[in-house]
Amino acid sequence: MEGNLTATVRSLVAKLPETAMKHWRSSLPEYLLSAKDLNSALIYLKYWALNYFVIARFMAEMDLRLGPVGSLRTLVGNPWMFTLLKVNALMRRYGRGRTGRYLESVCLALHTVVTGIIDMLRQMFYHPERMVVSEDLVPIDIIHAMGLDGYLLEGMGIILPIVDPGSATKYIDTAENEGMNPDACSLPKTTVGMVIRGHMPKGVAMLSSNLPCDAGAASYAVIQRIFDIPTYRLDVPYNFHGERAENLFMKDVKAMIAWLEEHTPGRMDWGRFRRICENRNRILELELELWDMIRLRPAPLASEAVWLSHLWNVNVTPDYEKSVRHYEKIVALARKNLESSTPATVNERYRSIVWNPPFLHFSDIFNWAERTYGLTLINDSMTYHHHIPIDTSTPETMLRGWCRTVMEGPMVRHTRGPAENYLDDIFRMVKQFDLDMVWVANHVGCKGGQAMNGILREKCREMGIPLLILDYDLSDPRIVSHDNMKRQVEHFMENVMKAERLDH
Amino acid sequence: MKTADRKALKVFQELLENPVNRLVEQAAGDGRIPLGYSCSFVPEPLLMADRLFPVRLHATGIAGTEIADNYLSSLVCSYTRSILEFAFDDRYDLLQGWVFVPSCAHMQRLQDNLEYLKKPGFVHTIDVPRKVSEATLDWMEEELHMLSDRLASHFQVDMGPDSLDKAIASWNEYAETVKAVGELRKRPDPPLTGTEFHAMLMASLASPKDLIMPEIRAFRDEVEQQGDITGHRARLMVVGGHLHDPDFIRVIESQGGLVVADRFCTGSIPGLMPVETNGRGPVRALAEHAFRKTLCPRMMEDFDRRLQSVIDIVREYNVDGVVIEVIKFCDLWGVDSMPLVTALRDKGIPVLKLEREYRLGGEGQLRTRVQAFLESMGR
Repeated sequence: MEGNLTATVRSLVAKLPETAMKHWRSSLPEYLLSAKDLNSALIYLKYWALNYFVIARFMAEMDLRLGPVGSLRTLVGNPWMFTLLKVNALMRRYGRGRTGRYLESVCLALHTVVTGIIDMLRQMFYHPERMVVSEDLVPIDIIHAMGLDGYLLEGMGIILPIVDPGSATKYIDTAENEGMNPDACSLPKTTVGMVIRGHMPKGVAMLSSNLPCDAGAASYAVIQRIFDIPTYRLDVPYNFHGERAENLFMKDVKAMIAWLEEHTPGRMDWGRFRRICENRNRILELELELWDMIRLRPAPLASEAVWLSHLWNVNVTPDYEKSVRHYEKIVALARKNLESSTPATVNERYRSIVWNPPFLHFSDIFNWAERTYGLTLINDSMTYHHHIPIDTSTPETMLRGWCRTVMEGPMVRHTRGPAENYLDDIFRMVKQFDLDMVWVANHVGCKGGQAMNGILREKCREMGIPLLILDYDLSDPRIVSHDNMKRQVEHFMENVMKAERLDH
Repeated sequence: MKTADRKALKVFQELLENPVNRLVEQAAGDGRIPLGYSCSFVPEPLLMADRLFPVRLHATGIAGTEIADNYLSSLVCSYTRSILEFAFDDRYDLLQGWVFVPSCAHMQRLQDNLEYLKKPGFVHTIDVPRKVSEATLDWMEEELHMLSDRLASHFQVDMGPDSLDKAIASWNEYAETVKAVGELRKRPDPPLTGTEFHAMLMASLASPKDLIMPEIRAFRDEVEQQGDITGHRARLMVVGGHLHDPDFIRVIESQGGLVVADRFCTGSIPGLMPVETNGRGPVRALAEHAFRKTLCPRMMEDFDRRLQSVIDIVREYNVDGVVIEVIKFCDLWGVDSMPLVTALRDKGIPVLKLEREYRLGGEGQLRTRVQAFLESMGR
């Protein structure tokens, strides 16, 4: 026992310089000392302060609303909330080497996520009686249109490893120890682990679907047995193109609305749904404008400004006015850069997309690639879509348009139907965004994606498109380390692209 | 455990040696049309109309999947990789068509890769919904009509109601015969082993039904004439996904665990319940039948039915313990077995969960696991 304690202390002491360096490199003083210009330092300082301010304000508000004991109990019951305090360290990683409007757009994207999470926590802690939990590919628009609050169960499984790379591992271990197959995708494992540990709001009802993959859909049988709450499951047809599929899915969604009215205090408000659809349409318009601008070489904005904006504002909070305002600001920043011929990065040498979800536990790999090789991430498969505006003239047209949006959504479109659904979008993006290469985020748990690599490799070879299949695990950095991921990029950039390093 | 040496069993084993066996060759030689399929949601009777006959895709005897791994990756279920490997080796070339269901991501991508690499003349996907309601039943009926129309026009076969009624009657007769043999396992000392029953069932799924029926009847007669199997340590049920190789059951039984019930994709429970023609047309009857007789974790809102069916079968067949077999990388069974194991143990039913590859490997390890399981039950 004594020996163990001594060994632990020794190990901590040995790691002290490394830990201190890690904290220093994430700190505000380090940024201010290394800032490239005063304007960038002020931008960073502003968002650093804003992030902490909204978090501190929420903590104070929670103290008032729930009382000190209730507040403490909430924090103890949801320890993952402490991970969110590390958000400025993430901003530091995202901000490295970036300046001006590009830096501002990245900081803004992250700040919007912070405020969005706090809104979600408010709903979760203050109004549990009207909380409906849902699977991440069932958009919460209808829940909100019914005057209810929604919580995406996979949400924290996505956000936590982005903020702190190792933060999902304990949940993954919990799920595996309870019998979940270790080879399943680590996102449903994280979700199930959080549910088992009681770190998720239970809600009064649950919505899930057959999306996006087998493990994700099957995990809801586990979650339902633990939560023991009424559950409705949407079934998106495999052949989702065409009116026949739309009609079937619409029937399903109508049945879901009736079911929610029966099992929750919510009532469908078509006026509110119209405003939500109008917000979606406005975001769509702005996003397409942004894509038109980033098509140009060099791109006026890139990376987190594009993918993180979409991930949060389109998938999680599309109905919020805040999300519309966020996109307006992002588009304005891109436009200003374009008008003043200011590229996002002065060294844009290569342009790429990442296919599959961005590397959650190492999402700043793009920042590293940008500084090391001048490689700019233009877009990704989770962001790219073919949505058309929703016709808001009648409830029927709104619902049809909304259903089409869900069926054409990220990971829905690419995980069903024939291989063309998957391949054609990649090659279309190569042309549309004038790309030099394609990166595939080859998540070991994604069987549907793994099984497409052979065809994709041959097609890319035929078309002369350099392809990097980067092996990793979505949420678990123990499977493939950050160093290993960097090495894979280095081998590709140096051997295939014959790229010169910029950091020499 | 005392078992009999049966002549008919050797016939079934021989028929399973090749994915396209001599009965398939014989039927094809007579101008009939073999169609391959891989999922229990594909209604066999529909593929038995007129000159058509179904062949369950299997790859027993596969030695390795090196080429398929290049396309499907080694992280995909070994059943789909084995099928693709055999397709590369032209082992299914006699098949004139393939009928798929997007049962899971693996199966979807098997179809994608097969179409890309082999470009078969006829491939069809039945878009089977993942939950059952009046709307999805209508959808399923339409899907089967679409398949039926394509088969009629592509192969110039009669897919009319009379032809389908005849195919259904023929399938029902086959199912009743096999089911009756299977039900002999309800006896305290059954006259046949699980290995024998599974060899017969798999051979029948991989052969034209009319040509194998005489062999099934001969086997039944042989079983009825010979004595019961005695000396088994426990009565087991096997639950899971695709299980094709009877040798997997043989290894379990070699330790004294007699397999008396098979609730897996290629098992008889409840897959052999008869098609009920309900006056709403044969296609509708097949759509309803497909949902009723298939218990698969791909189906949402169906966990309780799946669980209850295991509990009911445990009682009906007097089962002492349940073996859940999951092919490595199968997410559907991998995740679904998690609450299934817990729920069964809560009911006091001993459960052994085995992760395995499609082809039989690690025989010694399997024996040890089964032996330990039987001992843990005090047997």
